Amino acid sequence: MSPAPADRAEICVVACAEAFRGNGEILGAPIGIVPIIGARLARATFEPDLLLTDGEAHLVYGTWPVGEPPSGATEGWLPYRAVFDVVWSGRRHVIMTPSQIDSYGNTNISAIGDYARPTVQLLGVRGAPGNAVSHPTSYWVPKHSRRVFVPRVDSVSGVGWDNARKAGPAATEFMDLRVVITDLGVFDWETETRQMRIRSVHPGVTVDEVLAATGFPLIVGDEVPTTREPDETELRLIREVIDPHGARYREVKV
Amino acid sequence: MAQIVPLAAAVADLIHDGDTVALEGFTHLIPFAAGHEIIRQRRTDLTLVRMTPDVIFDQLIGMGCARKLVFSWGGNPGVGSLHRFRDAVEAGWPRPLELEEHSHAGMANRYVAGASGLPFAVLRGYVGTDLVAQTSTIKPITCPFTGEVLTAVPALRPDVTVIHAQRADRAGNVQLWGIVGVQKEAVLAAQRSLVTVEEVVDTLDPRPGAVVLPTWAVTAVAVVPGGAHPSYAQGYSVRDNDFYVAWDAISRDRETFLAWMRANVLEVGRDH
Repeated sequence: MSPAPADRAEICVVACAEAFRGNGEILGAPIGIVPIIGARLARATFEPDLLLTDGEAHLVYGTWPVGEPPSGATEGWLPYRAVFDVVWSGRRHVIMTPSQIDSYGNTNISAIGDYARPTVQLLGVRGAPGNAVSHPTSYWVPKHSRRVFVPRVDSVSGVGWDNARKAGPAATEFMDLRVVITDLGVFDWETETRQMRIRSVHPGVTVDEVLAATGFPLIVGDEVPTTREPDETELRLIREVIDPHGARYREVKV
Repeated sequence: MAQIVPLAAAVADLIHDGDTVALEGFTHLIPFAAGHEIIRQRRTDLTLVRMTPDVIFDQLIGMGCARKLVFSWGGNPGVGSLHRFRDAVEAGWPRPLELEEHSHAGMANRYVAGASGLPFAVLRGYVGTDLVAQTSTIKPITCPFTGEVLTAVPALRPDVTVIHAQRADRAGNVQLWGIVGVQKEAVLAAQRSLVTVEEVVDTLDPRPGAVVLPTWAVTAVAVVPGGAHPSYAQGYSVRDNDFYVAWDAISRDRETFLAWMRANVLEVGRDH
């Protein structure tokens, strides 16, 4: 019997997994439930060399359920103080969730409103000012809306293409923004203008729906592909091995 | 040469109003008991420094101990926002809180510079971000070899650094292991340091990956078993995850918060 068709959360998991395709032997740093499931799926299938942590300080092999202790072999020790060795050598691909993002990929995780007296004090810039200029960086937005996709972020925590160009080689030399994955589609940046473009829309989502939920114009190609669906092996891994309790639905409601 | 003294005496002696005080420890070994003693002794106008301010900083800020915060992430780990921190920044309660926001790497490098006796550190981060204009301790610097324009951040030299460790020996040498953060650099960068420990032992037998702080780098050691609760000390205790979840409700409301602090910190002679 073939499995039930993939739902939106599972499409997002596979889109996150695809972000790691071809990365090879670097540290995958997925932040958020769906990106974590995606990274484990990528390693269990097409990206076996990816390094993943147990969420604390061990690099662990194998494939285990989210929210549970790892079952695989420990293959490395990466405490907080050692993470910079990986960041600064470019051997890391992070997926972060921005509170705001604009067309050039500037992101804000610091404060909403006036920085000196914000209406919402967020958690702080964390690694963002170094990530985007040091190693591959992607973003995950569980709910695509005009609140997140804004014409201009209130404060730039992670640099986008336009500000990096102005800042010069120190910003651009190793800058490598990859993709933005949302519950509606996958996005990247057009090579010439460096403005955000629709790379694919998820099955059942229209381009108009995406444009309506985005606070700035998106570059739309003549033909917009549909995000690929998981195959049977991937569906089984998601449903039975990596996320048997449905943690993915906490981020993407279906 | 570190002195082994009671916690209250160490805080009274080492930490003064207006001091710059760093409390470090990541995931585990977070010096909660020392933070509570700072609150009990009603220290004020502190510049608090921590890479990842969590619940203990929420308590210090909510009790009005801090004038300023130097940080790179402020949250309740695995739970969400720090409500007292947000209330101070957004509404100025119980007093306005000045922020000096850095990246994780910027904070770590500032400690390294302080520990190395250098005036500043250089890194690639920050370029192109708004922090360059928002944070006065971030400045461009030109590489004398390549001409590349990078970022300089000044050394962090706390008046006092406070950490929690697993154990010390009777001479005051300190040993910590498990997930280690920037404790070593934070202690070496400081003018004075206070280390709370789970126990004092005769001999510090080697542990894989351990950091040893020699007694001459430490000012005071205080024995406080469980002093990292609700975080943990690897090998001694486990993380009290329920507390972190409970803190969300306790800290949302100013009165509920104050009542909790009275009952659990101010009116207890010694920490749990």
